[in-house]
Amino acid sequence: MTSNTNPVLNDGTRISDLIDLENREVKMRTLSDPELYNLEMKKIFAKTWVFLGHETEIPTKGDYVVRDMGSDSVIVARSGDEQIYVSLNVCPHRGMKISTLDGGNASTHLCIYHGWAFKPNGDFIGAPVEKECMHGKTRTKDQLGLKKARVAVYGGLIFATWNIDGPSFEEFLGDAKWYFDTLWCRTIAGMEVLGPPQRFIVRANWKTAAEQSASDGFHTLTLHRWLGEVGPYAKKPDAEGKGGDLTPEMYGTEVWTEHGHTMRCIELDRKIRRLTGMNPATLTSEEKLTLLPPPGITREMVPELLSRFSDEQLQLMSSRPPQVGNFFPNGLFEFIYLPQPDGTVLGAMALHAYVPKGPDKLEFVNWILAEKDTPPEIKALMLRQSIQLLGTSGMVEQDDSDTWPHQTIASKGAMSQDITLKYQALYENGRPADWPGPGNVGEGFTKDDTQWQWWKYWHELMTS
Amino acid sequence: MNELQRLLEPTPLPQTDRAKRIPSGDPLYHEFLDFLYDEAELLDTLQLRQWGESLSQDLEYNLPIRLTRPVRQQSQTVVRTVQHMHDNYGSMMVRIMRITDTKSAWGEDPPSRTKRLVSNVRVFRTDKADEYKVLSYLLVTRSRFDFDDFDLIPCERHDILRREGGQLKLARREIIVDQAVIGTPNLGIFF
Repeated sequence: MTSNTNPVLNDGTRISDLIDLENREVKMRTLSDPELYNLEMKKIFAKTWVFLGHETEIPTKGDYVVRDMGSDSVIVARSGDEQIYVSLNVCPHRGMKISTLDGGNASTHLCIYHGWAFKPNGDFIGAPVEKECMHGKTRTKDQLGLKKARVAVYGGLIFATWNIDGPSFEEFLGDAKWYFDTLWCRTIAGMEVLGPPQRFIVRANWKTAAEQSASDGFHTLTLHRWLGEVGPYAKKPDAEGKGGDLTPEMYGTEVWTEHGHTMRCIELDRKIRRLTGMNPATLTSEEKLTLLPPPGITREMVPELLSRFSDEQLQLMSSRPPQVGNFFPNGLFEFIYLPQPDGTVLGAMALHAYVPKGPDKLEFVNWILAEKDTPPEIKALMLRQSIQLLGTSGMVEQDDSDTWPHQTIASKGAMSQDITLKYQALYENGRPADWPGPGNVGEGFTKDDTQWQWWKYWHELMTS
Repeated sequence: MNELQRLLEPTPLPQTDRAKRIPSGDPLYHEFLDFLYDEAELLDTLQLRQWGESLSQDLEYNLPIRLTRPVRQQSQTVVRTVQHMHDNYGSMMVRIMRITDTKSAWGEDPPSRTKRLVSNVRVFRTDKADEYKVLSYLLVTRSRFDFDDFDLIPCERHDILRREGGQLKLARREIIVDQAVIGTPNLGIFF
């Protein structure tokens, strides 16, 4: 195996043999091959920006959490200068894991093996018995710090990359930033996590979850059909799909951008009509946002949105807001509108990372968030509903976590390896004329373009 | 504790008072033991509606997150803000209905084969004459599909059982799991 452009696997297969760019097919072997997995850790997780957590998890100096950046453990710490640093959680002396906890507060990170000590920013302080100079004289202290990643904090979200001289975080987001700003940068006070993330293990390749996160709307119709049987969508009026038919929920606008960040923008008109009896076409963005504020936003907070966003962004937020989508490579976000039994709508916001734990295993990490300014009673309701629908015990997402292992197992079969995943249901009508935002855009019933874009960027990184 | 934490905090369980222990030789103890065995049977045999009938209408049911913390910070290892489960009677009924009343609860269809091994049961009287605090260990073994490995979910349950109209009902349950990272792909089953 080489790590050059278009690497060759041990049996002579090239990466480019696994993905058919013309016909939009990917060989299933990609979902479990250990050689490919090792390449992904270097060519994707060591190269792109990776989501690690939220700044409100480490609000005070010395606070830290331990997270995974691809296959490496890192310490995400707030230093004495209030900056956030991300350092490899491996002692440069003999390779012991430095923090064996999930997080905490420490002004010094001490390796328990031989006592080498590091600052929250990763700098080497020294080894015990200073006069014996137990770090030797070959390397200076400056050279013995923890390996530091490059950090970007965006809307409170902490991202890091080992690609020190690579593209900026803004370049990495590209056209997706215009949309993501309407989610993560809505208020001056910003967002907060409502607690530590849920964490659980799914015996599946990380890509089974990640490619779904790239705005696979279609699976909802079948895999999450219970939503229309007894779930939140079961009681909607017959005019919007009889017998709990979820088909109307499949229509919307999908956006895909160069670096594999995608989203599903789902129309709110039906909800506004149902809630208010008013004709959405006659309402301004401000009126619509006030009648149906975004998840976690109250009516009182709407004027702040109006002052922070362009007319085009307000048009997006009030009529077709992004409700689910992904950060390439392994992040998913949800900003969902949940109909309540009393006819009102409650929001829920969650962020997932699908952390690779080997070719056959992923750790599902689920953060639940709200705006800091959201009243506590609403935060509590949002949190409870998020827990009930998403993540570990979520009635929606437990169906997903059962699907991914089967794909992973299937991909090892001698015949199945060469079966292809197909992304051939495409938007055919081009970009809608009145669409206010950038990027590639398709409108109508959910299609495969977003997920194909995810694979295209995967291919680009794996062969570069 | 901030306002949000106060809103999320379950009703605190009464302190375990050793003086109020109902010893394992007491016939009353065995009534609680039978309750726990019977509900394990109902859950293992998918009689979920019947299990639902043993839940009190004011049920508080929660399964906190665990964190890995040093010895001196053991009080901080149980997190009750974001939890793995945070339910009441109404939401538990939806969870049950999802499985019993739909044809597409794929996360549990086909269902897991489970054994709920109940042990280390301790029963205490509380300040309320009709309420008892019941502590138990629970080891759930979970088998899915044709997988040859079992998911193991070891936990301790802190229950309040209440006598309502001659029957014992579950009024409060907190499930303290051992794992900081849960080793099963979802918690689509009950504890």
